Amino acid sequence: MILQNITETAAKGWVECRVGDFNLQTEWEVQPGQVLVLFGPSGAGKSTTLRAIAGLLRPVRGHVEIGGRIVYDSDEGTWLPTHERQLGYLTQQYHLFPHLKVAENISFGLPDRNSASAKERVNELSNLLQLDELEERYPWELSGGQQQRVALARALAPRPAMLLLDEPFASLDSELRRNLRRELRVMLAQSPVPVMLVTHDREEALALGDSVQVINEGRTLVTGEPLAVLGQPGQGRIARLVGVENLFNLTIAERNPQDGTMSCIGQGLRLEVPLDSRITEGAGPEGDQDRVTVGIRASDIILAKEDLSGSSARNRLQGEVIAVESRPPGYAITLKLSSDHDPEMLRCHITGTALDEMGIRVGQQLWAVFKASSCFLVDEEQPTESSPD
Amino acid sequence: MARLNPTTRLTNHPAGILGGSGAILYVLFIGLPVLALLIRAAQQSDFLDAVTSDTALTALRLSLVTSIISMAVVVALGTPFAYLLARSDQLWAGVVDSMVELPLVLPPVVAGVAMLMAFGRNGLIGSEMASLGITIPFTTTAVVFAQIFVASPFFIRAAKLGFQSVDRDYEDVAQTLGVSPWRTFFRITLPLAAPAMFTGLGLAWARALSEFGATMMFAGNLTGETQTMPLAIMSAMETSLDGALALSMVLLAGSIMLLVGLGLLTRRRWQRR
Repeated sequence: MILQNITETAAKGWVECRVGDFNLQTEWEVQPGQVLVLFGPSGAGKSTTLRAIAGLLRPVRGHVEIGGRIVYDSDEGTWLPTHERQLGYLTQQYHLFPHLKVAENISFGLPDRNSASAKERVNELSNLLQLDELEERYPWELSGGQQQRVALARALAPRPAMLLLDEPFASLDSELRRNLRRELRVMLAQSPVPVMLVTHDREEALALGDSVQVINEGRTLVTGEPLAVLGQPGQGRIARLVGVENLFNLTIAERNPQDGTMSCIGQGLRLEVPLDSRITEGAGPEGDQDRVTVGIRASDIILAKEDLSGSSARNRLQGEVIAVESRPPGYAITLKLSSDHDPEMLRCHITGTALDEMGIRVGQQLWAVFKASSCFLVDEEQPTESSPD
Repeated sequence: MARLNPTTRLTNHPAGILGGSGAILYVLFIGLPVLALLIRAAQQSDFLDAVTSDTALTALRLSLVTSIISMAVVVALGTPFAYLLARSDQLWAGVVDSMVELPLVLPPVVAGVAMLMAFGRNGLIGSEMASLGITIPFTTTAVVFAQIFVASPFFIRAAKLGFQSVDRDYEDVAQTLGVSPWRTFFRITLPLAAPAMFTGLGLAWARALSEFGATMMFAGNLTGETQTMPLAIMSAMETSLDGALALSMVLLAGSIMLLVGLGLLTRRRWQRR
């Protein structure tokens, strides 16, 4: 019962790290059974954060709490070494010990490996992760998915007070990844520990995250609900980081409060987008407020061979196909929108079947159709801040 | 780089023509003397007498005892040293690292003279040691010294490479599982580096058993005290070729046994091939 209480404590802290020229500042708080996703491009500082929490690298300053214990505090001079921090740490390469069999790998972190209780724990985890048949095998005799299951069982065996997952499923195929995510969810329901997951896969962040923290160049840009952060991101830089394919700088031409929409125009482009509450209130200086950045996800766009004039979609744009690229599992189509000068590009994602049935080829004229509600307003950063690229 | 398909015929390929003739020459070059040794030894009538003679047995015993002591010292001190060299990126480690290779390029006779200059009666620290009642030259200890001097690089270099091949992430993961750095070393690092270490030990041991020049200069050729197998072979050559042949056979058999034995230890049951 006492152990149970320890594991059901939030993990929180902050660190400042310096690795060569790279500076990192992060702060986190994760409730038991919750998954905090650290999301960002490679080199953003996600793994460094995990390593700092694990005590595998020493921060410049900071405070780290795991299982209700302070394991690091720069002001107090507290520093618990890695092996006293009660962690589970999972890496992309699994790092199963090659000279030990599956069962020996799982029991590696248990205090008395040959005791009856240790054997029971190994059995329990092998059952849960479907490893029963494999206990006498060596790691090289296992598939990638099985190896990651063993690594997960090994990390969970000593009942860690926190789980650190560093792109744990990145080298697995998508179906295996989905299965393992589900298993991880089941696992968390059984033993609710705080989890920090590093990924740059949007789908994974949405599937596993209870909250998402976007990190870039050692700084946290935003923390929040996965859908709020990754679905319709607020900041221009975040929009680019989380992969919003289409961003347009437009000017508001007309507001239609009765429809909750407004019309925005740009380079030969007219879009119906949701009315922004901030703009309706009419606060701030005039004129400046009329400039907006509109984002549309490539997967929210419907392509048609003819103008769908009789449809409810508020936005219909004509353009010429200038590129068709494979983007598994589907295809990415780039349209050059019809315009007199300096035309805008529009990226659309469609399935392979749609591509075949429509017979899309470069040079073809197509219509791009999407609802006003598929468009969202992006808060561009203030010009005083350094430009994102 | 194009890899040779196993089904490709090598008859009209540089690897086949040049490599093939090279292989034949090499096998002859190494095999012929060994074969000659075997044939001559087999023709000997008093082979067993020569092998079991007092001189031979004494030399064999001395060779075994001194080389085992040498290897114990090399492994006990060389293992942590090799681990440090493998893990350190400091400048001094690089300097020490190249010093480890010095005995490999130094002629053993020179090593013997150098050790005499250091530990000899009038040597650099030898005179102080003598006043403390410690004499090293021309004793069994000197034999061990000479063996360590010439053989240790083989072990240290192999062990260093072995430790370098152990991904540090394994050690990190072990520690996140609650295992202390000390226990991680013994449960992860050492077992993973062991095959490389056994290979190095085999080479070092063979080198220690065959050590001649440095021993001759620094330890001398005293029966029962410093006369190891190679020295006994040389001494036997002066009186009878047959005695030398018999001793050579014993040393050859020992070397082959060492090769096979360590080859078995080196094989990893936990990895393919």
